[in-house]
Amino acid sequence: MADQDEPGFGRRPLMAGAAGMLTSLLAGARPADAQSSARRGALVIGLDISDALSLDPVRVYQYSNPLPTRAAYDGLVTYDAGDNITIKPALATEWSYLPDGKTIRFKLRPGVKFASGATVTAEDVRFSFARHLNIKDQPFQYISHVESVAVVDATTVDLVLKDPTLPVISIIATPAFGIQEKALVVANGGTDAADAKDKDKATEWLNNNSAGAGPYRLTGWQRNQQIQMVRNQNYWRGAPGYERVLIRHMSESAAQLLAIQRGDIDVAFNLIPEQIATLKNDPNISIMGTPSLDFIYMAVAEAPSNPALQNKLARQAIGCAIDFDGIIKNLAGGAAVRPTSFLPVGTNGSTEALTKEIGFNEDLPKARRLLAEAGLPNGFKFQLAYGNAAIAGVTYQNLAQKIQADLARVGIVAELAPMDQVNLRTMFLGGKAEAVLTFWNPPAPENWLWTSATVNRVAKRVVWDVPADMHKLVADAGAERDLAKAAVLYREYQKRMVDFAHHIVLVQPVYQVAVRKSVSGLNLTAAGWMADLAAAKPG
Amino acid sequence: MIRYVVSRLVTAVVMVLLATLVIFLIANTVPGDPALAALGDMQASDPVQVREFRARWGLDLPLWEQYWLFLKRLAQGDLGISISSRRPVLADIIDYAPATLELATIAFLLSLAVGLPLGVVAAVKRDSWVDHVARFVALIGVSAPTFWLAFIMLAIFYGQLDWAPGPGRLDPIAFPPDRITGLLLIDTALAGDWETFRDAAAHLVLPSIVLAASTLGLITRTTRAAMLEALSQDYVRVARAKGLLARVVVTGHAVPNAMLPVVTLGGLAYANLLTGAVMTETVFGWPGLGRYTFRSAVTVDFPAIMAITAIVAAIFVLVNLLVDLSYALLDPRVARA
Repeated sequence: MADQDEPGFGRRPLMAGAAGMLTSLLAGARPADAQSSARRGALVIGLDISDALSLDPVRVYQYSNPLPTRAAYDGLVTYDAGDNITIKPALATEWSYLPDGKTIRFKLRPGVKFASGATVTAEDVRFSFARHLNIKDQPFQYISHVESVAVVDATTVDLVLKDPTLPVISIIATPAFGIQEKALVVANGGTDAADAKDKDKATEWLNNNSAGAGPYRLTGWQRNQQIQMVRNQNYWRGAPGYERVLIRHMSESAAQLLAIQRGDIDVAFNLIPEQIATLKNDPNISIMGTPSLDFIYMAVAEAPSNPALQNKLARQAIGCAIDFDGIIKNLAGGAAVRPTSFLPVGTNGSTEALTKEIGFNEDLPKARRLLAEAGLPNGFKFQLAYGNAAIAGVTYQNLAQKIQADLARVGIVAELAPMDQVNLRTMFLGGKAEAVLTFWNPPAPENWLWTSATVNRVAKRVVWDVPADMHKLVADAGAERDLAKAAVLYREYQKRMVDFAHHIVLVQPVYQVAVRKSVSGLNLTAAGWMADLAAAKPG
Repeated sequence: MIRYVVSRLVTAVVMVLLATLVIFLIANTVPGDPALAALGDMQASDPVQVREFRARWGLDLPLWEQYWLFLKRLAQGDLGISISSRRPVLADIIDYAPATLELATIAFLLSLAVGLPLGVVAAVKRDSWVDHVARFVALIGVSAPTFWLAFIMLAIFYGQLDWAPGPGRLDPIAFPPDRITGLLLIDTALAGDWETFRDAAAHLVLPSIVLAASTLGLITRTTRAAMLEALSQDYVRVARAKGLLARVVVTGHAVPNAMLPVVTLGGLAYANLLTGAVMTETVFGWPGLGRYTFRSAVTVDFPAIMAITAIVAAIFVLVNLLVDLSYALLDPRVARA
């Protein structure tokens, strides 16, 4: 089959040809001016978006998708960056409980327009909540105590609660409860009818388009690739600073590091502490820190398989034998704080000072004393399970080894049990684990979402028979609408939680985000959507 | 010949089904619960909702019935709905496959374009500097971990020298072309958008070199070994004795005879590139099937896992078949047999 007249494998022409082709391809392929005008008009964000399942607000509950959802949809109320306690007006200008005690009346901001140009009306608000109530995806769970939504007039809407003692206003600040333009959603298959769970077909459209009144409008989502948004010229707070926002999927933090150094992305969300350290002296990049409301904790169960763990004093001994400061300093690179218990620092009634005062603190003599009182002077054994993952650069593996070494000082033996995340979750949720290292991130900065979880579903996982007075404490604190009075109750809650010693909170990361200095006004938030893009602008 | 092809195709279908059965049984023995992996924390804690979820996805049926349902749907060309993306698996695969196909094909062509001539020359000029270079390239290619190589390439050619573009298929601010095939090079060419074509091509350079590395190593080594054997044969000695030009002896006599093992390896290597680019895709932010496969596995997404198994098995079986058929073209003795 070889043709004798062919010149054959002239290696030099071929190889040189390949090399030449590569060179000519790459020459000039790099936009030398990374700050060209097209680039200045676009805010490019590097973020791992592989977890996102949907950009339809009623189905937004993962970690990364609240960011674009908040950019596309404004809600009735919001939190300002840096303050996770005081609720601020957004599409609603005022709200109050009616005398019946169970109806909250919202007054809408007049003249606000959706990105489409249509005016935001009370009917749009009703539709948005009714769609949640009938589709019943995960975000609905947080407002399942809402009975109905009713239009009073074009700019007034009532939210009626089944159980008025449960908080709701703080929860609906979260991006999932952004207001959707009814006409647009209905035109694309959406419905808020009672059978919406099966009949609503708008999700596919809403995954690639948005129907909101936020600063940017969604124009496309290529999964595992990027999310594209354009400026909403009608934005009620004034036209946003960028023509486009591009959220670029980058699952590898090292790739994010290179891309922000080169100026291909303007914001890098997923850098680990060592990478942040290499950027400290970069003249083009500033590092912004935002204390998150997320934390890594160790759940210690009253496991039927382990009599020692059923003893409260033994669990407390674990809490007194851990070198918490060492974990924060060495594993988290100092970029973390530590709350007293299951309420992160920065929420109402939780501070770092309180942790020093009433939280777990390293105290080896006390740990030994507790063990002796528990009748276990020589310590005990338990299994510590964890997943193959890392939070803000802290790997569970390193954390587990550190805890193992710390506990060994008082004779407690932690047998490490690494496993994949799904197996871990299956075991933990099934109440089959002795102790687990895991992570908690909140849907909204509402204390009750943490506290009710600990005495209900999380209690089952640690095989904890919660006493009635603890349930009452959580209910009373949730129902208290005076922040100062609630703070007192939450202090008591944290004290009790430390005493029960089922949850030992280890690390609440201060997320460090690298931002090019060519970007200003980007406000990071811990309230659940990473950043407010409304005020971000070039220069 | 036709009977041979038909019988091979029938065997192929059986092989693919067997592969799906094995994966189905393995996936069902892991302790991880797909319902708990897919549901949010509150839903996963509510037994009623977990039960509803299982019923909706058919996870509450007996194993044999679940597998039977999979087969029935497969026969109708329906790959089911992915538990983790909540979209038809077929739609997911159509989304992700072109990125991988484009990358793997370019990487394969690259490894052939470099590996074949390098292997031939290395054998002809045995123990010369070319041979040493070839052996070094082969060694690095085969032994360097992809993850490491990808980062080194990225750090040097993107981070330091700024010669190559960064991760992803296109510059972040570029507008992707209208989707026709999903292959960016083809779509941009069809649209006549040469600027974006160039951008897409430039983005392919680093990942395709990284992905090609191990295949390149294998092809170089195999070509070299096969050529050395061919060059030691009597017919080559005869050809030389006849006074033929050295070039004609190599390209006309030795190379065609050395190609059989290279074709076998090349086929398998291409199948490997198509199905095994997880690491390269991860580092280069490449939205391909490798990442999708990985994610399906860690979320115990049965429909996606099963569909991918079927596709991967089909690719391997088909490539093998094509390789075997190409023997008939390359080696007249096979065709006659």
